[in-house]
Amino acid sequence: MMARPDNRRFLFRLALGTVVMAVVMAVLLVMQLTQKQVIGQGAEMRADSITALVFQFEREFLRFRHVLDSTVNGRIKPDPEVLNLRHEILISRLVLLRENPSTTILLERPEYISTLPQLDKLINQTDGILAKTPPDVKALAVLLDEFVAIGPQVQALSLAADTLVSGEVERQKTTLLAQNDQIVWLILAQLILLLAAAAGLLARQRRQEQERIALEKLTLDLRDAKFEAEAADRGKTQFLANMSHELRTPFNGILGMLSLLEDTALKPQQADYIKTVRNSANHLLALLNDILDVSALEAGKMTIKTTPVHMPDLLRDVEALMRPLATGKNIGFSMASPVSLPPWVMVDGTRLKQILFNLISNGIKFTPQGGVTLTVRVAPGLDGVYGLTFVVQDTGIGMDAHALSRLFERFYQVDGGVARKHGGTGLGLEISRSLARLMGGDIEVNSAAGIGSIFTLHLPLPVGATPSDSRLAPTAALTPLADGEPAVTQIAKTIDLVSLPEGPATPRSPRVLVVEDHPVNQKFVGVLLNRMGCEVTFCEDGQMALNALQRQTFDVILMDINMPVMDGLTATRAIRALTGAVSHTPIVVMTADVMNEARENAMVAGANDFLVKPVQIGQFKETMQTYLDSAQPA
Amino acid sequence: MAHVLSRLLTPCLIALPLISAFPAWALQPAKDKVVLTISGKISEKNAGNTAVFDLAMLEKLPQKSFTTKTPWDTHPIKFSGPLFRDVLTAVKATGSTIKAIALDDYTTSIPMGDTKKYDVILATRMNGELIPIRSKGPLFIVYPFDSQAELRSVQYFERAAWQLKSLAVE
Repeated sequence: MMARPDNRRFLFRLALGTVVMAVVMAVLLVMQLTQKQVIGQGAEMRADSITALVFQFEREFLRFRHVLDSTVNGRIKPDPEVLNLRHEILISRLVLLRENPSTTILLERPEYISTLPQLDKLINQTDGILAKTPPDVKALAVLLDEFVAIGPQVQALSLAADTLVSGEVERQKTTLLAQNDQIVWLILAQLILLLAAAAGLLARQRRQEQERIALEKLTLDLRDAKFEAEAADRGKTQFLANMSHELRTPFNGILGMLSLLEDTALKPQQADYIKTVRNSANHLLALLNDILDVSALEAGKMTIKTTPVHMPDLLRDVEALMRPLATGKNIGFSMASPVSLPPWVMVDGTRLKQILFNLISNGIKFTPQGGVTLTVRVAPGLDGVYGLTFVVQDTGIGMDAHALSRLFERFYQVDGGVARKHGGTGLGLEISRSLARLMGGDIEVNSAAGIGSIFTLHLPLPVGATPSDSRLAPTAALTPLADGEPAVTQIAKTIDLVSLPEGPATPRSPRVLVVEDHPVNQKFVGVLLNRMGCEVTFCEDGQMALNALQRQTFDVILMDINMPVMDGLTATRAIRALTGAVSHTPIVVMTADVMNEARENAMVAGANDFLVKPVQIGQFKETMQTYLDSAQPA
Repeated sequence: MAHVLSRLLTPCLIALPLISAFPAWALQPAKDKVVLTISGKISEKNAGNTAVFDLAMLEKLPQKSFTTKTPWDTHPIKFSGPLFRDVLTAVKATGSTIKAIALDDYTTSIPMGDTKKYDVILATRMNGELIPIRSKGPLFIVYPFDSQAELRSVQYFERAAWQLKSLAVE
């Protein structure tokens, strides 16, 4: 990632500041070293100060002159030893003054340049006089005069030294002060630089903090927006669910009436029209069912009801329904299952069939020639759980990688043109996979464009016990397709509407109370019950039903849920609360509400059974028969 | 045990007369001009209450020489003379401080420790020559300044008295 210009500018400033700071510090260091040198200049080897040396010389000069004076003026006896000693010491002081390394600057002063040669001359003179023993007093007197004469010059030497040293000290002081000033300025500059750097860092920190806050706010806004979008999506889903639910009720009527109409005497042309209408209606119902399924899955309301299912029967049902589709397209359909397939497994048969129908009908849909095969494989697992694999392979148009990656997305269809030709909601695969996952399995797909596709459904299924009650057997729930409808979208839920088997004759007419406010449904259910040989009484709400029960007893009550005045559940509870035999009348609740709570609520209210609208004729007949049989033992 | 001890001691006993040789000789009186007078806490004396030395007596002591720079001369000089501590041993000095006094009455104090710690000499010669008074003679207390950096400080420069006249052991 490229550094932002802002960031780069900051780094540049940082580097610049560091360099400037380093330079200033280096200069400071050099100055400190220089100062140290100035202070320590020559200190090591300068034991004596210049003034001390000059002072000592002057003192020895005066001491010799004093001895000389005392000798000449007769205050002491002439003593060559004493004179020599003082003279020698005086010489040593002069030598020291001249040869000492620290006095070099002093010797350049005019006072020294003029006086030192005179002193040398005087000393030579003294040497000569003192060489004689005893010394000549007159010569000593002359010498004394000379020493007195040169006295002021010697004193001037001391003053010159003092001036020089003072000047030197002054100069040193000035230098040090100047350097000190420079150091102060440099430190000040450093301080300003440091403050500027701190201010810069602070500003940057502030800016970053603001950016961070802005970013956080943006994140929160985005999250809110996401929540809102999701809420809107959920709202839409709910609306779809409600709408499809509402749509099912009139649909029930249309399909029922169509079935009845087919049984009347029709001209061939009329029969053909009805068939076309019914295909369209079936297609529309399949779409509604898909939408309902997706809504239920999305709302998390879809539950899997496992029951012992007879696998060979289930596969036979699948074949019975799918083979006509393949035959209708002139392609092959074959099915293979191993002998090791356990006959009874615990599974939600309806949902398993739904998945298989979807996968196989898809395969048939997209296979122009060749065929579709369903292969079942069994891998024994632990604790009686079998790994069942259903492989649906076709020789169809297949898919490329891009299509594969989007295959399970909602509403995705491989090819717009193909989809239009074949119809479908584009929800089938999504529903299938969601169902498979709900059942603890999954669906995977392999495909190559132009060669075909392989859909594999994996399901871990426990072995089921052979049920004693044959009502639970899946065969009962599904009647094979009677007339070989080629409609692709026709699936199990509506297939029973195709045929209307004759109801069996009963020894006496059982009495059924139908509590249903919708006239079309009343009519449809009424016709079905009449065919089963029942005597039917209609009520339009729960209250009317309670009134009817006061007058008459019934063998079975068929109860709708959504009704005006008193709904079905309230009515059911009220009936169960009655006294006497009437309170035990079997009640079969009938509703278009397919959500799972609907069944549960009905059972809790006291219903014996539950039928989903649109009513499947086979199931309806079977359920009703069960209660009619038990109500009236033959 | 005693045998072992005697074996260890024997060489020491032999060496003892050699070591104590020169105190044993006792301090002879000065025959020539006195150049150094030592007073104070000393037990070897040859002139009343003091010990006096002429140049010959000093030159008779073991000589030590080294070359060093001093603050008072531009060039390094080779100094020779007896070790200060040998001179002090010769007079059996026992004090802790030695006050050195020069011909011009310059006075400085030297800790006894200095004479043991450093090879301080009472130089009688500079570059092999006897030192006249005019060249800071005749005696010059010289520390080996060039051998140790710590000696190159005012403290030690002050102790290096020239034109040395007398020592007072305190």
